Amino acid sequence: MKAITASALLFVILLGALFIYVAEDIPAFGDPNSPANRWINLSIGIDARSHVVESLNEGIVPDALVSEIKNRGLPLPEGYKVEREGEGWNILIPKGEMFYPNLEKYYFIMNEGNRLWVYRYSVPVRWEERCEEEIGVPNMVTAGLADYRGYDTLGETTVIFTAGVSVILLLRRRGKL
Amino acid sequence: MSAGGKAQEHEQKYKRDVIITTIARLMIPFIQMYALYVMVGTEGAGGGFQGGVVFAASFVLFVTAFGITKGRRRLPESWNAALSSLGLYFYAGIGLLCIILSLFGAQYLNYGALPLWTIIGRPATRGLSITFVVEVGIAITVMAVFASIFFDLAWKGGEDKEDNKEEGGE
Repeated sequence: MKAITASALLFVILLGALFIYVAEDIPAFGDPNSPANRWINLSIGIDARSHVVESLNEGIVPDALVSEIKNRGLPLPEGYKVEREGEGWNILIPKGEMFYPNLEKYYFIMNEGNRLWVYRYSVPVRWEERCEEEIGVPNMVTAGLADYRGYDTLGETTVIFTAGVSVILLLRRRGKL
Repeated sequence: MSAGGKAQEHEQKYKRDVIITTIARLMIPFIQMYALYVMVGTEGAGGGFQGGVVFAASFVLFVTAFGITKGRRRLPESWNAALSSLGLYFYAGIGLLCIILSLFGAQYLNYGALPLWTIIGRPATRGLSITFVVEVGIAITVMAVFASIFFDLAWKGGEDKEDNKEEGGE
C-alpha cells in the first residue's frame, strides 16, 4: 500500500471516529422538552384564587403549582424569578447548560377562565429574544445557522463536499494534474 | 483527426473577443471582493454558502472569457481537491478544538468554550468563531466544489495537449 493511500485511509477513519464521538452529544429526537412551537400548554392548571395570584405578583410560585410541576418531572430549580408580562407571568429559571448566560424564560403562567395554566417556552423564543446577547452577531439568520444549528450546517457542508467528490469520480477525464 | 487538432480548430473558429476579455478583467476582482464581503456576512445579508457560490462564479466568468486551459492553470486540480476538504476540516476542527481546549468540559461546536473568552467574553468569542472560521470554512468548501464541478463539466479532453503545443512541449 502506498504511503498516500494509507494516510488517506487514516484520515477517513479519524473523521469517522470523530463523527461517532460527537454524535453522542446530539439531543434525542422527539424530546418533549424541546417543541417547535412558541409555547405549548403543559395541561397543568390550578384554580386562580386571590392568594395564589397575589403570591405570583410578589414573585413566589405557589406551592400547589410547584408540586404539580414537580409531579410531571419538569424542572423548577431554586433561584427562579417571576416577572409580570401582559396577562400572565414569566418564570425565569437558571440554565443547566455550561457557558451560556444565566437566566432563561422557561414557563409562562396565564390566567384563563379563572384558572392558571402553565405554558412552556420553546427554542424560537430564545432565538428571537436572546440571539444578539448570546452570540454577539447582529445577523440572526447567520447566528442561528452556524451556532444553534451548527450540527445541521456541518452536515450540509458535508453533503456538498460529497457531491463534489461524486462528480469527480463520475465525470473527470484524466488531464494534467 | 486527434482530439488536440479538433480543439485547435475550435479555437480558430471562435477567436477570443477583446470586449469580453477586457470586461472580464475589470469585473473579476470586484466579483471576488464582493464574494469576500458576502462570505463574512454576519453584519448584513449573506453567509458562507452564498459567498462561496459567488466566488465560484468569478471562475466561471474567467473560463468564459479566457478558455478552460488558462482557467485550470489559475486553479489547478490539486489545489481544488485540497481546498474542497480544507474548508470542512476548518469547520470540524474548530468543533473539536472546543472540546479539547476546554479539557472535555464543553460539547462539540460549543464555540463559547474557546479559551479566547477570558479576554473578550463569551458572546464575542462565539461571534468571531462563527464569522471568521465557520463561515470561511463553508465558503472555501463550496467555492472549491462548485469550481470543480464546473471544470469537470466543461473539460472536453485534449486541452492539455493543445496547451503543451502552445508552450512548445511534447
